[in-house]
Amino acid sequence: MTSAWITSYFGLNQDVTFYPTSILPITHLCNLVSYILVYTKKYLYFCCVKLKTSLLLISLVLLFCNQVKAQNCSIVIRGKVIHLENNEPIEAAYVWIEEAKQGAVSDQNGNFIVKNLCKGTYTITIQFLGHKTTSDTIILENSPFTKTYRLEDESLNLSGVEIHGHRDAVQTTTSVSALYGENLLESRGENLGESLKRISGVSTFSTGNNISKPVIHGMHSNRIMIMNNGIRLEGQQWGAEHAPEIDPFLADEITVVKGAETVRYGPEAMGGVILVNPAPLPTKKESKTNINLVGGTNGRMGNIAAAHVGGSERIKGLGYRIQASAKRAGNIKSPDYYQRNTGMSEINFSGSLGYSAKKIGMEAYYSLFNTELGILQESHTGNLSDLEAIIANGRPFTDGEFTYGIINPKQRVVHHLAKIKSHYHISENWKLNFQYGFQLNNRQEYDKRRGDLNERPSLDLELFTNTLDLYVNHTHKNEFSGTWGLNLIQQANNNVPGTGVTPLIPNYDMINAGVYLMEKYSKGPLEVEAGIRYDYRSVQTARYINSELRSSDLDYQNLSAFLGGLYHINADWTFSSNLGSAWRPPNVNELFSEGLHHGAAAVEIGDPDLKSEKSFKWINELQFDGKRSHLEITAYLNPIQDYIYLNPTGEVYVSLRGTFNVYEYLQANALFYGIDVAGSYEFTDRLNGYVKGSIVHAKNTNEHSYLPFIPSNRMDWGLSYDFSKVTDSRTNKVTLSNILVAEQKRDPDFDLAPPPPAYALFNIAYQKQFYIGNENKLNLGFQVQNVFNTSYKDYMNRFRYFTYDMGRNILLKINYEF
Amino acid sequence: MKTTNKLYLLALAFLALSFSGCDSEDPVPENDGELITDVTLIFQELDANASPVGDPMSFKASDPEGIETGQTPTVETVKLKKGSKYRMNISVTNAIENEDITAEILEESDEHQFYFLGTAFIGDSSPLTYTYDDPSGELIGVRGTVVSAANPSTNNAQIRVVLRHDLDKNYPGADNPNFADFASAGGESDLDITFPVVIE
Repeated sequence: MTSAWITSYFGLNQDVTFYPTSILPITHLCNLVSYILVYTKKYLYFCCVKLKTSLLLISLVLLFCNQVKAQNCSIVIRGKVIHLENNEPIEAAYVWIEEAKQGAVSDQNGNFIVKNLCKGTYTITIQFLGHKTTSDTIILENSPFTKTYRLEDESLNLSGVEIHGHRDAVQTTTSVSALYGENLLESRGENLGESLKRISGVSTFSTGNNISKPVIHGMHSNRIMIMNNGIRLEGQQWGAEHAPEIDPFLADEITVVKGAETVRYGPEAMGGVILVNPAPLPTKKESKTNINLVGGTNGRMGNIAAAHVGGSERIKGLGYRIQASAKRAGNIKSPDYYQRNTGMSEINFSGSLGYSAKKIGMEAYYSLFNTELGILQESHTGNLSDLEAIIANGRPFTDGEFTYGIINPKQRVVHHLAKIKSHYHISENWKLNFQYGFQLNNRQEYDKRRGDLNERPSLDLELFTNTLDLYVNHTHKNEFSGTWGLNLIQQANNNVPGTGVTPLIPNYDMINAGVYLMEKYSKGPLEVEAGIRYDYRSVQTARYINSELRSSDLDYQNLSAFLGGLYHINADWTFSSNLGSAWRPPNVNELFSEGLHHGAAAVEIGDPDLKSEKSFKWINELQFDGKRSHLEITAYLNPIQDYIYLNPTGEVYVSLRGTFNVYEYLQANALFYGIDVAGSYEFTDRLNGYVKGSIVHAKNTNEHSYLPFIPSNRMDWGLSYDFSKVTDSRTNKVTLSNILVAEQKRDPDFDLAPPPPAYALFNIAYQKQFYIGNENKLNLGFQVQNVFNTSYKDYMNRFRYFTYDMGRNILLKINYEF
Repeated sequence: MKTTNKLYLLALAFLALSFSGCDSEDPVPENDGELITDVTLIFQELDANASPVGDPMSFKASDPEGIETGQTPTVETVKLKKGSKYRMNISVTNAIENEDITAEILEESDEHQFYFLGTAFIGDSSPLTYTYDDPSGELIGVRGTVVSAANPSTNNAQIRVVLRHDLDKNYPGADNPNFADFASAGGESDLDITFPVVIE
């Protein structure tokens, strides 16, 4: 095998050296590109992608190499601007090439690009508020030029100048995708899971229309992590019907890290991490308000959100933000009927106060999430024959009618999160960080019961979580930077007495302590990163079952590590690869479940002897950023040892209430692999097309069967037409999109109902921006989702057993910034 | 600088407090209020004038642990005479909580209804016929009349008792005590038990 690659490498080498010797540097580069692509081919080959794809890529590169040769004035400068002190990318830094009189502004990730330069000597000047201006003289030969610029904070040396706000950006070599700006604006009014579907490789595992959990590469719940402004969100995330307790309106950017990030974020970050981050607080005098109004016809939904940010004039570096949102919706309409009891209401609040000075920065943050969700009446089945009757019917027996009222079954969830964060610059290169977070999650689930019992929740859990992070960052002008840290999580779970139901999970105390170390080496276009972490976890549980006290004391420990690299092949291509190990101790529900699950007419039995899951995730990403096109291909391989899953035993349990299926928690080895593709192409200055798609395979390798509830193949493509002139930065465009979801052919041996057929949905969106006065912006959005009112069921919606999904929805979104 | 140090100390003290003060509480045993442990069918034979004849007979289905786990419920065999008329009362209790669930069913009479199925009631030559006879006049099935055929085609049959909760009582056919398609009226089953019956 190896010799075959070498042959192909030399084969390409010969092709390239065919060019005249005067363009030797390019030849070298092209050789390197080809070489790397050959390796990419190797990776892709492993990921079972047809060889044709990689051959196509190679021919693309060769094409590119030819283009470089043909034009003299087509040299590209590609750079990245980051903060010297913490490696965070700098957005909106101004880059000026004096000799060429050309400029650029760095993007969200600090990247900038200047194209069409001729051979010669140039002076690059980079400016960013509150930072020392950097100048660099470079000589451009024929090859593209790549460099990372670190800007030094002026406040470190001079007192009284501008201080920038802090936000922890993701600094990882693994695959990262973010939802921000226009795309985030378009998603307003949707819950977190729904919003994230806009990112390729992310889908949802949902329970009706109000509860959706994000799924990254086939994993969800306890196998991924959600961070609310830097604190890992700790609710009862094990439950399939427990949506993340987070208000998407508090985010200015939602980032998805698709690699295994256990080292950086702690155990359970196995499939990926979702970071919900507000914008950094202002550090100078400023006052900005942002108001969002969203209305939708389906469910007659109304959503209002407002945020105000301010910076103090008197105290330099002092800033604050207050933000609140409220949402109300009634019964959802499927094309032919109303789904009974599917209304919801939500009220959220968050506030933060920050202070940044020369050497020290502090931030206090609080967020409150408060929701009440109705659960589809028909999903609460009495026994197996009830369940079979509704599955056979395919939809609820009654048509329902519209109401905002919510009755049992329902959920009430209140989540408080408070944190304080502080950093201290020990020296120019060393920074000490401290973060403490407190969370209280109260989850109440009400069942359909008799009489006064309806007033009492059947499940009433209170979860307290304390998290403490202490870490140092070091950044040097030379190529090393890194983070060393300590992380503590302490958790206490209580069943609030008085439910009249034996608790589903016991009361427990958990302590997790982790120490980690990560170092990154970057030189020019190359970044290499490695890290290691050790965790210890101890869990004590206690519960009464039939008046008998049952308790247990469990310990888990694990070592995890990762190695990753990113290489800017040239101005247009970037390749990254990351191999990370991860682990996840079994969750309390997997260990101790013992009881009836009404939605599934199932008795679920836990196993206290379960071991930790251990996994490797190898993720590779190839990115192309051309003048008119953009392409991102992500391929991953993710074997998991001792994967925990709920297995139908095939037995039924007979009671006075009828019969129930019995499920038990088992462990087996599993293999996940797949590919995500996202691309866009500008046909003309006005017409733009995009395509996104993902394929996930998930197998139980012991049983040679497929795992349940893994997303089927899906694709989303669309065309947008921009009415505004090229010189006009205001949005004025219409987008037509089509979502294609295949039938899940890779379905498990046992399921209550077969996977639903494939479906196609069409959406229309129109977005227009107005300027009012000097700086005020008004964004208007008009969307029609499921234009043809198609009846469909999604395999990843647990309520596909009971009902069709949501029908047509017409939305109006107004956003005003002043 | 000194103030900052103090701040850190304060923060650490705050932390120490919150970490130690947040243990889980001792668990409390829950008495399952929703549980049904016993379902009793009480048959009182009636004469032509609807007056009671002899002592009532009780047949019980019980599951002492309720639904959560454990054994299969024990169900007694119903024994009836042929060619007779009975008043049948159903009593539902939670023996763990010592709770009379029949009273709760009657309180929410608009949301509950019993259906009587199985070979004893369904089919052309079924040996038993049931008529609702609830004192309130509403169709619930806590009280009803059972008539056994004078010459039943079989003396062995099954009585399936289903208690539906939150159904649409106005659904066409829902007023039939032997409504086999009860699922289409919506709601869910609170009880679904099959008693063997011998008619002699």
